[in-house]
Amino acid sequence: MKNLTVSVCLFMLFATPAIAQNYIVNVHGMVCELCSLGVAKNIRKLSFVDAAKYDDGVQVDVENQTVFVAVSDDASLDKQALFAAIEEGGYSPVGIWRLTDSGERLELQ
Amino acid sequence: MNGLLIALLLGITSTAALAHQPVVDMAPRWNGGYGFQTRVEHANSDTITWLEGVYTFKPAVRMTLKIPYGRDGLGNSIFAVPLKQYKNAAQSTSNWGLTPSVRVPTGGGNDWDGGLSLSYSSESVGIYQLYDVHFLGDRRGLDINVGTVYPDGRGSAWFTLWDVTAVDSDSGQRILTGPVLVYFRRNIAARLEYKLAAYDHDDEWSGNYLSFTLGIVY
Repeated sequence: MKNLTVSVCLFMLFATPAIAQNYIVNVHGMVCELCSLGVAKNIRKLSFVDAAKYDDGVQVDVENQTVFVAVSDDASLDKQALFAAIEEGGYSPVGIWRLTDSGERLELQ
Repeated sequence: MNGLLIALLLGITSTAALAHQPVVDMAPRWNGGYGFQTRVEHANSDTITWLEGVYTFKPAVRMTLKIPYGRDGLGNSIFAVPLKQYKNAAQSTSNWGLTPSVRVPTGGGNDWDGGLSLSYSSESVGIYQLYDVHFLGDRRGLDINVGTVYPDGRGSAWFTLWDVTAVDSDSGQRILTGPVLVYFRRNIAARLEYKLAAYDHDDEWSGNYLSFTLGIVY
């Protein structure tokens, strides 16, 4: 019985999916994909970005002026570094949200 | 003497070389970005290939070099330092630009020319516009590009623009106008431009203008 309990606990531990760390950033001015190449380029250099998701960790949406950023499961978001990378790319980040697994957006302060 | 004559001819620079900056007036606007473009232009019964490079120190400061090469060799190059003040809004971006430039006698001779350009451009998801007044040597000009943008949401876009160019120099005045097509996919951009001479009173220039530009940015 004890072995069964341990097995169930281990199964539950490893069967629990990792919580995805996807973020969406609203970027003022980002209306042209050619001009905003530097935004994606700079974000990809950040150590916490998960290159396995999106397009090497980043997806730019100029129609809605947003950038999707995937963060590695074993890392944490550095908002200041992310915003600096976008500013050095020539644009103005104005807000950031965490995307939950259910698709909700939770605004970060 | 022949070499000097060729150099002087190549020194008569097209407005495209004065009013527009690589790469296709748009990129790179990020720190440490760089790019190259080649523009082949046919005007005034001659064909000139421009090799142009740009390096962006930061969005507000970049430098460009434009080197012309004609059938008779190297012409006079133009070195410029575009300075830009960007304003990013919710649905658009715009900038004022001030670009000092110098024409270097790489094609021969000893004459250096100074120039200056003042520009404004803005872009929204659907509209692009560029206005530029400039002078270099004895040439003064105005260049206007206005049109629509069609992004496909997958890394490429078409720009369909209309260009109006007015030039005044010691040899006369000209007004040219015509369509411009710009296309880019990821980091590669192309621009095709054809302008009709609507007002053609210049002793050294005549006829229509055709150019094709292909560039890449990193």
